[in-house]
Amino acid sequence: MKQNSYRMFSPLVLLALIVLAGCGGGDRAKPATPRVAVIISTLNNPWFVVLAEAAKQDATRLGYDAVVFDSQNDPAKEAAHFENVIASGYAAVLFNPTDAEGSIANVRRAKQAGIPVFCMDREINATDVAVSQILSDNYSGCVALGQHFVKQVGASGKYVELLGLVGDNNTWNRSKGFHSVVDRYPGLKMVAQQSADFDRAKAMEVMEAVLQANPAIDAVFCGNDAMAMGAYQALVAAGKDKQVKVFGFDGADDVVKLIAEGKIAATAMQFPKLMARTAAESADKYLKGNRDLPQKIPVAVQLVHQANAGKYGDYGRRDAE
Amino acid sequence: MWGRRRLVIGALVATGTVVLLYFLPLFHVVAMDRAGRRAAGAAFDPVAIVERFWTERLIPGATRAVDAVELVTAMQQDRKTARREHGRSVGLGDVHYYFVTGTGRVVSVETDSVVLSLRDGQPQFQVSLETGNVVGNAVRDGTGLLNVNDFPNSQDFNALSSEINRRIEQQVLPVLRKMAAVGVTVRFVGCAEIMDEDQDLRRLRIVPFIVETP
Repeated sequence: MKQNSYRMFSPLVLLALIVLAGCGGGDRAKPATPRVAVIISTLNNPWFVVLAEAAKQDATRLGYDAVVFDSQNDPAKEAAHFENVIASGYAAVLFNPTDAEGSIANVRRAKQAGIPVFCMDREINATDVAVSQILSDNYSGCVALGQHFVKQVGASGKYVELLGLVGDNNTWNRSKGFHSVVDRYPGLKMVAQQSADFDRAKAMEVMEAVLQANPAIDAVFCGNDAMAMGAYQALVAAGKDKQVKVFGFDGADDVVKLIAEGKIAATAMQFPKLMARTAAESADKYLKGNRDLPQKIPVAVQLVHQANAGKYGDYGRRDAE
Repeated sequence: MWGRRRLVIGALVATGTVVLLYFLPLFHVVAMDRAGRRAAGAAFDPVAIVERFWTERLIPGATRAVDAVELVTAMQQDRKTARREHGRSVGLGDVHYYFVTGTGRVVSVETDSVVLSLRDGQPQFQVSLETGNVVGNAVRDGTGLLNVNDFPNSQDFNALSSEINRRIEQQVLPVLRKMAAVGVTVRFVGCAEIMDEDQDLRRLRIVPFIVETP
């Protein structure tokens, strides 16, 4: 009898264990803390490292588990990150795209999977897929840089322009803002315009080659600070750093320090921490039910030059962030 | 015999390849600035859009501008309140704009501006109308009549600024320069961009899009 009871009891215990295991498995599939993915175009640039780390910290502060993905400026890697994020059930994506056109499909896939995307710093050419895009006003920043360029270089001289990634809107907004001012001065001649992909090492190589063909230049305008650093290194190596004025864009710490020392002429401070915080807070609001978020949030940039460089540092304005 | 056949086959294959690549090239070489324009969208025509915006919205919208005397008075009392009540900003940051109208008497003609007195004998009620190169986004963003969210590609939105500025330089400023003589009364509508209040509020610098003698 006792043996029979055990025989009846064993399958029931087994069944109960299976049911309990099943319930437990369900809980594991849905993490207790929602996760936010921070997908960044490249971490091979200190400015983007600050953007990524700030986004991660802000998402963590708001109660999310945040994971950073590096696309290494490769749209294929970016697409793979999105596949992973969608399959893994992330709650939201804080996104810095590699390509204004090419990245649209990734954001669209996330949207279709019910994952909201918030673009930071770089734009995608669509207003119906990302929830919000928090973007520096690159054009206005480079209008201000162009005006300072004319003050520093004068109404005549020879200069070089180093462009960023040609598929990125920031590249052209910066270039066009700069030229909207500088092209008004017929005496200012652009002797070379080449892309260095926002990359410091490439900028150094390009600048070395440009200096071979154009040894007598007065200035170089770079689409970001990493390229400004690369160009400056090439000028130092060529012994021309004192005669050629270097202009960057970003507000990277090393460039702000060199501006204060009088070695680089100027840059435009973007605010990566402000953009990251706005993106994380927008994602949090959205996940809590707020659907009244603006599609584009332009963020003003500020001119940094030798007279005001002391007010800036740590990727922002000392008295503001 | 075999050699000749091989030669004919080779020639046919080469000709076919050339024809195929002519119609289906593997790549195109384009200038970098052209690549940028393509990224901005081939169908976008800032000249046509600004033409329509100018006549249908900007000129009729001039009635929304704040009176310059009222604005300057408000600024002298409290900048923050003036900014909150009359200013306009786009996104995040300290940059803001005023959409302003007024009538004043020319007190001086400078290289790139005309100084107007809104109230005789009160220098604090002077404003400058720009007559030099027009750059930036004062009129595009100052009026509030154009919205960045209506333009998927910000290059297009920025192209509107360039075109508005070009039109002001070509159609408005020559009229202003011609009429500007000390003592002449000028009515204006335009926008001011404020980046640094300490500097920019000493005397408002206005980019006008309407100038006329009343």
